[in-house]
Amino acid sequence: MLQLFEFIARKRNFILFVFLEILSFWLIVNNSNYWSVNYFNTSNTLIAKSLSVSNSIKAYSNLQEVNQSLAEENRRLRQQITTVQQQKPANAPAAYKPDSAFAARYKYVTIAKVVDNSVYRTDNYLTIDKGRAHGVRERMGVMSPDGIVGIVTVCNEYFSKVTSILHSQFSVGAMLLRSGEIGTVEWQTTNPSVVSLRDVSRYKKVLKGDTAVTSSYSSVFPPGVIIGRVQKIAVSADQSQFDIELRLGTDFTKLSYVYLVENKLQKPQEAVQKSPITARK
Amino acid sequence: MNPNDIIRSTTIGLFYLLLHVFVVRQLVLFDSAFCFIYVGAILTLPYEIGLTTLLLIAFGTGLIADTFDNTLGMHTAATVLMAYLRPTVIRYQMAQKTSEARFELSLRNLGLPTFLSYTFVLILIHHSTLLFIEASSPSLFLFTLLKIGASIVFTLLVLLLTQLFFR
Repeated sequence: MLQLFEFIARKRNFILFVFLEILSFWLIVNNSNYWSVNYFNTSNTLIAKSLSVSNSIKAYSNLQEVNQSLAEENRRLRQQITTVQQQKPANAPAAYKPDSAFAARYKYVTIAKVVDNSVYRTDNYLTIDKGRAHGVRERMGVMSPDGIVGIVTVCNEYFSKVTSILHSQFSVGAMLLRSGEIGTVEWQTTNPSVVSLRDVSRYKKVLKGDTAVTSSYSSVFPPGVIIGRVQKIAVSADQSQFDIELRLGTDFTKLSYVYLVENKLQKPQEAVQKSPITARK
Repeated sequence: MNPNDIIRSTTIGLFYLLLHVFVVRQLVLFDSAFCFIYVGAILTLPYEIGLTTLLLIAFGTGLIADTFDNTLGMHTAATVLMAYLRPTVIRYQMAQKTSEARFELSLRNLGLPTFLSYTFVLILIHHSTLLFIEASSPSLFLFTLLKIGASIVFTLLVLLLTQLFFR
C-alpha cells in the first residue's frame, strides 16, 4: 500500500498529465457534451459580451467598407425604384403607356466619394473621385442619400467637377409634393442649407413643411428626388408670387458619398426642346 | 519567486492570452498560417514553477482558447502536452543555464539562438498536435503539414515581436 502511494507521489505529474489529456480527448470526441454545449462556447454570456465589445471596437476600422457596400446597395435600390416609378407614374391616366426606353432612361451609373467641397462661396463646386473611366459624363445628375446635390460639369479620366446647387447660376425645376405646385429652385442666400423656390403663384396654396422634389421637367434628374422642405413663406416684392425658403435635404457640409445618375435620353430630349429656338435663329 | 515575479509572469501570461483571444485569433495569412500566440503564456512562465502547477495553468489556458474557438478540448490537449514536455526540453537545451539562480525564460535573458531553439521545439509540438487533431483525418496530410509550417513561422514571429516589446 505504502509503495503504491509512493509511486503515485513520484509519478503524480505524469498521472495528472495523462488525466488532463484523457479529459481533453474525451471533450473532443464528445463534442456535444454537456460542458461544451452549456458553458465552454461562445454563447456563454461573459465570452459573448467580451467578443461583442472587441467587435464594436473593430467595427470602426471597417466602417469605410461597410459604408461603401451600403452606398452600392442603395444605388441598386434607387435604380429599381426609378425604373418602376417611370413605368407607371402615380398621377398618370390609365391609358398612359410609357415607352420602355423612356421608362428605363435613368441609370444610376456609379457612387463617388466627395474629395473636395466648398459651400461658402458664391459659386460652389465639388470634386468627386470618379471620372470618364468609371462612366461619368458631363451633365449627369449628382445626388446624396438625402437629396439633390448638383450636376457634373467637367470630367477627366479619374475625377469630375460638380456644380453644386449652391451656385448662383444653378436652377432646377421643383414640385411641391402635397400642393402639386411647380416652381424653380435657385440659390440666392449665403446660407448653405437654404435655397429659394420661385415662380409659385401667390394665389396657390402652399403649406409650411411641404417637401419639394425635382419635377418631371428636368432632363438631368429623375422626378421625385428630394430637394428640401418649405421653411418660410413670404410674398415677393411684386406681390404676384410667393418667395419660399427651402431647407435643403442634403447637408452640404457633411457630404461624403454621392450617386451619379444618367439620363440616357438626355440628348434627344434637350435637342427637341431647343430646336424651335435654334430654327428661329 | 517573490510576489513581484508572480505579478510579472501573470501579467505577461494574461497579455498573451488576451492578445490571442481578441486580436490574433482572426488573423489568418494565405489561408494557412494561423497564430496561436497564447502558447507564449506557457513558454515564458518562470523555470522554477512546479510541473503540477504548470499543467494546471496550461489546462486553463487551453480551455479559454477553446471556449473562444468553440473547439472544446483541442487547444487544451495540445497545450497540456506542450507544458508536460517543457521541463524536458529546457533541461536538454539549457543544461548549464538551469543552475543559475535567476533564470528567466525570455528573449532578453536567453539570447536569440537559445530562445528560438527552445520555443521552436515546443511550438512545433503544440502546433503539430493541435492541427493534426483538428484535421482529424489523414486525407489532408500535406495541407496540414503546410499549415503547421506556416503557423510555426507566424507564431514565432509574433512571439519575437512581443518579446522585444517587453524589453
